[in-house]
Amino acid sequence: MKRYVTNPMIIKELRQRLRERRAWLLPTLYLFVLSGVVICAYYFTTDTGHRLHGAEVQGADIGQAIFLGVVFTQITVLLLMAPVFSSGAITLEREQRTLAGLLTSLLSAPQIWWGKFIAALLYLLLLVASALPLLALPFAFGGVEPLDMLKVLGSTILTLACICAIGLWCSAVFRRSVHATASCYAIVLVLTVVTAIAYGMLYSHWQQSHPGASGPPAHIQAPLFLNPYYPLLTFMEDNDFGMHAYPVSSWLLFGALGCLAAAFSMRSLQRSGEQL
Amino acid sequence: MIEIEALRKSYRKSRGLDGFSLRMESNELVGLVGPNGAGKTTLIKILATLLPADAGSVRVSGHDVSLDPACVRTTLGYLPDVAGIYQDMRIGEFLEFFADAFRLKKPKRTAAIERALERSGLADRREDFVEHLSLGWKQRLLLAKILLHEPKLLLLDEPATGLDPLARIHLREQLKRLHAEGVAILISSHILSDLEDICTRIVFIADGKNVEEAQTTPSAPKDHAPTIRCEVEFAGASETIDRVIAGQPGARVLEQKDGFLLLELPGSSKEASTFLQTLLTAGITILHFDARGPGLEERYRRAFGEQTR
Repeated sequence: MKRYVTNPMIIKELRQRLRERRAWLLPTLYLFVLSGVVICAYYFTTDTGHRLHGAEVQGADIGQAIFLGVVFTQITVLLLMAPVFSSGAITLEREQRTLAGLLTSLLSAPQIWWGKFIAALLYLLLLVASALPLLALPFAFGGVEPLDMLKVLGSTILTLACICAIGLWCSAVFRRSVHATASCYAIVLVLTVVTAIAYGMLYSHWQQSHPGASGPPAHIQAPLFLNPYYPLLTFMEDNDFGMHAYPVSSWLLFGALGCLAAAFSMRSLQRSGEQL
Repeated sequence: MIEIEALRKSYRKSRGLDGFSLRMESNELVGLVGPNGAGKTTLIKILATLLPADAGSVRVSGHDVSLDPACVRTTLGYLPDVAGIYQDMRIGEFLEFFADAFRLKKPKRTAAIERALERSGLADRREDFVEHLSLGWKQRLLLAKILLHEPKLLLLDEPATGLDPLARIHLREQLKRLHAEGVAILISSHILSDLEDICTRIVFIADGKNVEEAQTTPSAPKDHAPTIRCEVEFAGASETIDRVIAGQPGARVLEQKDGFLLLELPGSSKEASTFLQTLLTAGITILHFDARGPGLEERYRRAFGEQTR
């Protein structure tokens, strides 16, 4: 176990990653985008023209609007970034012809995978951590509790870990970074868009046969369990899913998907001698 | 050090190795020679635990390569034909990373890194980025890297490719030094002159099989008595040298022209030395005398004929 904690791959990966120009450029852009979202959410909520039924604006409304804006923008941006950091991790070693050196050292395939995985995830966590002040801003307005933030953070980190594992699997399977990255984006697209379309079709069909029912049952929501936005949607109090939300099922599925991707990645990595 | 028995490896569309066998002792520096696609790289990759063999047995330092790859890796250093290097790391960081990857602990780790820097001649450039090194210096660094854990066996696949003459000379000297220190080396190369200079033995391989050298001298003695070829360049009258040859029992002139003589003598290098002494005693001025037998190029031609890929 100690070997996984003091893994030289983690130090090497982080060192190389933080030397790249994008290491400081991406967090800067990321925070600019999130700051823009906060400003927009604030003005949109307080703008009288957009008030529903001319009601008074409550601090809690502003807080919730900012919170949801930041949470959904954050997950969207991170879903776009995760494949960049993970799907090139092993293919790049192959392209630079450095993988043979790693595989003939005393580092095992799981150690190599773990080093790559932690390095990719840590960089994404750095982005998440840098946005914490923006995510905590709604506390000043009310309407959001620290527990909500913890739930959102936990869900986001689990989703990112799963996408990183999938990215590394693509990286272990494909020879070229461009193919691995494209495949990883395709998988992210399936998880986010295709599952939503599948749910939409199932839901409309179900609604026609069950007019007036309060919320869709679990089997109708099932395609959404693999959607990275789903657990976040279930935290919203007045969502469509009501009491039938299943964030734990979603988390379990993401965990299982990540573990499967990890197992297959290590297997591919162990057999990658022929590709060198 | 290496025991390979009837090794087979097939790829989807081709056969990499087809019953290749080799036994290599710990005090040997063996050159692996063969045309492109002969199976040299496949063989080295199997030894380096990168490829699984389909059939046959491979043991390195007594460990089975397929059953005990981790133990095998502790005993060998592998340099691939096109070795990659982390361009965005400092030289010191690069060596530190691989010292950690080979699980070297302090103070052994520090000593190994210092030794590697010393060995590669990069001690004063520790903080430089690898990308600023020339190809020759990168090759030195890579060789120093694979020696970090003090392996007993080196597997070098075309290590001199792309190096300039000075870098090649340095590489040769370093390999000779390592061999003298007791490191066994298996080296694959197309640069026959380099192999001829450093190797204690040459192994020929083609189509994944061992290749025996063909005997091309049709009049070779039928009782297989050893013979040695002597190449002599001399100054002076050829009558004197003719007299000396006539006095050599069993000597056979293969070629003779002005100031040049190629002949075959029964015996080995001892008989060649005696012959040279006789020439000098007879008052012949010797400009060049070579009794090393056929060169590697000649042996390669004998083994593979005009075979090309």
